[in-house]
Amino acid sequence: MNQNYEYFSYDDDIVKKFLLATMIWAGAAFLFGLLAALQLAYWPLNLNSEYLTFGRLRPLHTNAAIFAFAGNAIFAGIYYSTQRLLKARLFSDLLGRIHFWGWQLIIVAAAITLPLGYSQSKEYAELEWPIDIAITLVWVVFAINFFGTIKKRREKHMYVAIWFYIATIITVAVLHIVNSIELPVTFLKSYPVYAGIQDALVQWWYGHNAVAFFLTTPFLGLMYYFMPKIADRPVYSYRLSIIHFWSLVFIYIWAGPHHLLYTALPDWAQTLGMIFSLMLWAPSWGGMINGLLTLRGAWHLLRTDPLVKFMVAAITFYGMATFEGPLLSIKSVSAVGHYTDWIIGHVHSGALGWNGFLSFAMIYYLVPKLWSTKLYSLKLATTHFWLGLVGILLYYISMVSAGITQGLMWHAVNENGKLVYPDFVETVTRIVPLYWVRALGGVLYLAGFILMAYNIWKTLKTAPKDQKEPTYAALKPNFESSSGETTHKKLEGMGLVFSVLSFIAIAVGSIVEIIPTLSLHKYVEPARVTDPYSALELAGRDIYIREGCYTCHSQMIRKLSAEVLRYGPASTIEESMWDRPFQWGSKRTGPDLARSGGKYPNLWHYRHMMDPRSTTPGSIMPNYPWLYTKKTDYLVLRKKLSVMQSLGVPYTDEQLAQADLDAQKQAMSIVEDLKQNGVEDPKLEEKEIVALIAYLQAMGKKERAE
Amino acid sequence: MKQEALLYFTDTWLTLLGLVLFFSFFIIMLIRVYSLKKEYFEMMSKLPFKELEDER
Ligand code: HEC
Repeated sequence: MNQNYEYFSYDDDIVKKFLLATMIWAGAAFLFGLLAALQLAYWPLNLNSEYLTFGRLRPLHTNAAIFAFAGNAIFAGIYYSTQRLLKARLFSDLLGRIHFWGWQLIIVAAAITLPLGYSQSKEYAELEWPIDIAITLVWVVFAINFFGTIKKRREKHMYVAIWFYIATIITVAVLHIVNSIELPVTFLKSYPVYAGIQDALVQWWYGHNAVAFFLTTPFLGLMYYFMPKIADRPVYSYRLSIIHFWSLVFIYIWAGPHHLLYTALPDWAQTLGMIFSLMLWAPSWGGMINGLLTLRGAWHLLRTDPLVKFMVAAITFYGMATFEGPLLSIKSVSAVGHYTDWIIGHVHSGALGWNGFLSFAMIYYLVPKLWSTKLYSLKLATTHFWLGLVGILLYYISMVSAGITQGLMWHAVNENGKLVYPDFVETVTRIVPLYWVRALGGVLYLAGFILMAYNIWKTLKTAPKDQKEPTYAALKPNFESSSGETTHKKLEGMGLVFSVLSFIAIAVGSIVEIIPTLSLHKYVEPARVTDPYSALELAGRDIYIREGCYTCHSQMIRKLSAEVLRYGPASTIEESMWDRPFQWGSKRTGPDLARSGGKYPNLWHYRHMMDPRSTTPGSIMPNYPWLYTKKTDYLVLRKKLSVMQSLGVPYTDEQLAQADLDAQKQAMSIVEDLKQNGVEDPKLEEKEIVALIAYLQAMGKKERAE
Repeated sequence: MKQEALLYFTDTWLTLLGLVLFFSFFIIMLIRVYSLKKEYFEMMSKLPFKELEDER
């Protein structure tokens, strides 16, 4: 044995585990998505079931797609490429196992709690506090394992993919922790420390950057590793990749407020969000071009190699989605596009095209390598590609058409200054055919995936029975820096310094955006301060959150004339100042509800929630029969009010002590009214529907009586 | 209109500091990247292909 050599092997077993998990959860995510799509096309598919109703299924779908499918794919790709780029086995086999099983446990916990209605209702951060803590712990395990590997590496230089992974690990940790600061009420219910506008800003700083640092930077790292490997030539321009990296981590973090244009968010923050979103155009397209031109001189592979097809399509979708994102951040475009299905089309071109196709390419590349065999059928993979591509195109085109239709109909005003389509439901029935086209797109995408599952399964069956980890030999590391090196080379050799710099890059934008909004008192006008919800209204609000009504309804009337015509005066900061969590929403499959209080009598809501078609023919809103049998939890109300009080909501001690009694009294008065209008339902005052009606009638009605 | 837009613009110094930090870091980055030699980039871009013996 040569003294200067070290002998080691890679931990490929953990990569295999994450790959198989990716396949399993991908199937689940796609299935949930397809069912949710069909529910919008054909409402009876909500099945009158509280566990499968759209409002609970949609968060399950988004969480499965982002954290279960994309998450496992990222971990597989990172663990594979990092070991090879750094010429070192992962820091700890045990930590790898804890990371793997911990993450799967979190996914299972999500799959159980979300259908049961345990949700914080903050998009892509719905999971309740015990799971939030588990996520933090598992992420720390991942970080230790990753940075530990950097520490013991045998390759001094860190390839750009590693930089992207570092930025991912640091930023996701910051985002998750800051957005999840909440006070528990019970084992599976909490209230966030932020309220109203603060909560909105923190949530969309998180939401936007979850897309940036969970669905973009890690996948870019994977692109910079796997695209060259698959095309068998180095990346087009390494210089460009460095600029790509630093510009992205710098600019992305500032763009969050583009989710809140025309809302009650102060204008300066909106403008900042818009400008930085536009700036994102440059690095994103630089990255796309860099990825695509890696194929220089080998474009013929595009015709013959399905892996190259997947990669090139993925990178093209990255370019498309990152072109469209800044476009949608332009205020005038956002006025039409926001709250519509255009946004749903936009995110799916990213999720299905960029994340999905890149993961598929990676899986097709890795499975034969890791299991020492050959892919069962390239032909099937090619068919998968075409099915998937047509699926995405159908999805995207139908949703953009639906979105623009909605946007134009909502804003159409005739020469008398009246809305052309005053009945919201008209704008719903108009796009239902497009929901069917979208579902068809989903069916094709899923069909392609099923082919892949079959292909992979067949491939695994041909794998040799005994799988050995090969041993490698590498020179002993010797990092003494020779005198001629520039500081930059030393710098990128130093993992810690590099991590700190990335952290500063994301911290600057975050701090500048969040700090001023945290000083809420500066924005609240004393004359417009509102009263907090009564105990019963709060109970109703928590039912609204549990049922995921926010997945179809907004509570934020934007400062746009057509919107004011339709819903009433624009929403103010003060109107949501006690809202924990905020319910501004992001999509209007149904109308805005910010001013629905007093719009209809109690009886209307009573009938509407039982069967929306009884009051509004053509509605696609689900039925909520279980609200008429489940009992309101009056006893927990004291606890809820007291947590709210400790968060600064001005409830008096007397209100706390009497929370349940007050609530029951208010329930009785609603029940009296319903009875007088002919509703006969014994013990109605105990039922959840009454609490929900109380909340619906309070919306927009909480201005403080002088 | 402009007045209105700036009405709630409370922590001006913070935003300014952020922007200054942002742009200076950016410029330094660009200068650095363009002062590096071509050979260095070539070496870096070949890292994924630096295979060890017996590597699959
Ligand atoms: C699948 C999407 C969807 C979900 C989920 C949903 N709604 Fe709706 N909602 C609609 C649509 C579409 C309409 C418009 C047609 C109608 O009135 O039924 C509507 C209308 C309404 C209206 C009447 C608003 C008005 O001004 O006319 C209220 C109130 C309402 N929904 C409350 C709720 C509540 C409460 C929940 C949660 C328990 C909920 N919705 C969940 C789609 C949805």
